[in-house]
Amino acid sequence: MYHFDWPIFFNYIWPPTAFQDPLIRNGLIATVIVSIVAQVFGVILGLFAALGKMSKLAILRWISDLYIWYFRGTPLLVQMALLFFGLGVTHIYNFPDIVIGAVIITGAIQAGTLALGINEGAYMAEIVRAGIESIDPGQMEAAKSLGMTSGLAMQRIILPQAAKVIIPPLGNEFNNMMKTTSLMEVISAGELFFGFNQVNARIFKPFELFIAASLYYLFLTTVWTVIQARIESGLGERKGIERGPGMMQRLFSGRGGEGGGH
Amino acid sequence: MNINVPSKAKLDDSNIIVKAEQVNKHFGSLHVLKGIDLEVRKNEVVVIVGPSGSGKSTFLRCINHLEKITSGHIYVNGHMIGYHDRNGQLVEDSERNIARQRAEIGMVFQRFNLFPHLTAVENIMEAPVRVRKTRTDLARADAERLLARVGLADKRDQYPNQLSGGQQQRVAIARALAMKPTLMLFDEPTSALDPEMIGEVLDVMKELAGEMTMIVVSHEMGFAKAAANRIVFVDEGRIIEQAAPDEFYSNPKQERTRTFLSQILH
Repeated sequence: MYHFDWPIFFNYIWPPTAFQDPLIRNGLIATVIVSIVAQVFGVILGLFAALGKMSKLAILRWISDLYIWYFRGTPLLVQMALLFFGLGVTHIYNFPDIVIGAVIITGAIQAGTLALGINEGAYMAEIVRAGIESIDPGQMEAAKSLGMTSGLAMQRIILPQAAKVIIPPLGNEFNNMMKTTSLMEVISAGELFFGFNQVNARIFKPFELFIAASLYYLFLTTVWTVIQARIESGLGERKGIERGPGMMQRLFSGRGGEGGGH
Repeated sequence: MNINVPSKAKLDDSNIIVKAEQVNKHFGSLHVLKGIDLEVRKNEVVVIVGPSGSGKSTFLRCINHLEKITSGHIYVNGHMIGYHDRNGQLVEDSERNIARQRAEIGMVFQRFNLFPHLTAVENIMEAPVRVRKTRTDLARADAERLLARVGLADKRDQYPNQLSGGQQQRVAIARALAMKPTLMLFDEPTSALDPEMIGEVLDVMKELAGEMTMIVVSHEMGFAKAAANRIVFVDEGRIIEQAAPDEFYSNPKQERTRTFLSQILH
């Protein structure tokens, strides 16, 4: 019978003691920041890819299609390894550490964030496109009949409406993103899972430590779920759209049809 | 609402606002418009009638280049719409030029197409502020004046989904007028409305008639008799007959016109 090491377990789930280990504290901070930066990057890339896919210019459509096809069709883990190790060995770009004051952004963190963002952009492209296509074509016609160019109409009329359709799946994407950052462990980026793995290499308590690690991720995604519900109900109240699922349903039901694991 | 129906406008023959010459339009293999010729003068109100699928809405949408014509020419205020002539070849205009031309042409849609994320007054201000670069306070004052004119001053801060169909369409008319267009196009403006709301929209349109050049696709005979200078009957992509309303309804010349009228009047 396995002897569960409760003191170690409690030491690593209780933040005041766990954060005494910089691997855990910095790992948690890195996971949150990397998730946010990669998601923002993904949304921006996704917006451009979606607009590219709907462009009148064939070349832009091809570039967008190629991008989406490749990054959705290949594993994120492979993309990350390719970006970090592959680019490194070619000396095209070595991902040198960036030092800002006391903060060091390692090359692995940069490469991992970039890979997560680029990968996310390919998924966001479809979400953004679906959002734009859900808007009645009469909206674009009305905007054009008033003398707007399609760019101005997109910015002022179509995207603000599409945002309401885009935000719920975007929230789910971010939830996924926080968990997916753990893949960066393979390129030794100092995020949360890497931190726990390092501790495990030192004291070898994988059962206790990885349960503790999972609880940190559970905490992050649960907090986000609460925030997401607030955002969506705020949107709904203001503009009279349907209310999203309730909190309990969000936490305990399976993922909806969209997305799927990356 | 205080509406007085003006007498039919006096026409100035020298002032042609719209001129369509041999306009053809194909949707793939479907030949929708077959050589339409039409002239509309300043302050004239032209009502286009015809069976569904006759091409009347398509023609209207060609006037502001929401549909591209296959051949022919459409001029508004003397400028060719959507194309320019380059060594005898017609070349499509840049998007910016087309947008500039459209800013002078107001359009009212069957399904209103108000912007649902903007309030009534914001719907009306949007294009003056973003396209004409009008100062926000001036645009707002103008928008409120227009809302009062269509009898909706108190609905200023309502979102479209808080308004009835008739109210939405009146806001849509105000939105088009805010650009101070020289021509207004109405694409079946009352056919998506509940019967009790048709009157309020037609009243606003009647009030506009006489001070605005209007092309209206509509089967509302009451409106046509009260406000139109001319009825144009379109069938299968051709203009079959055109006449003043009284003559058109009481004494149609063409057999197809008589058949059509008997169908809508039963």
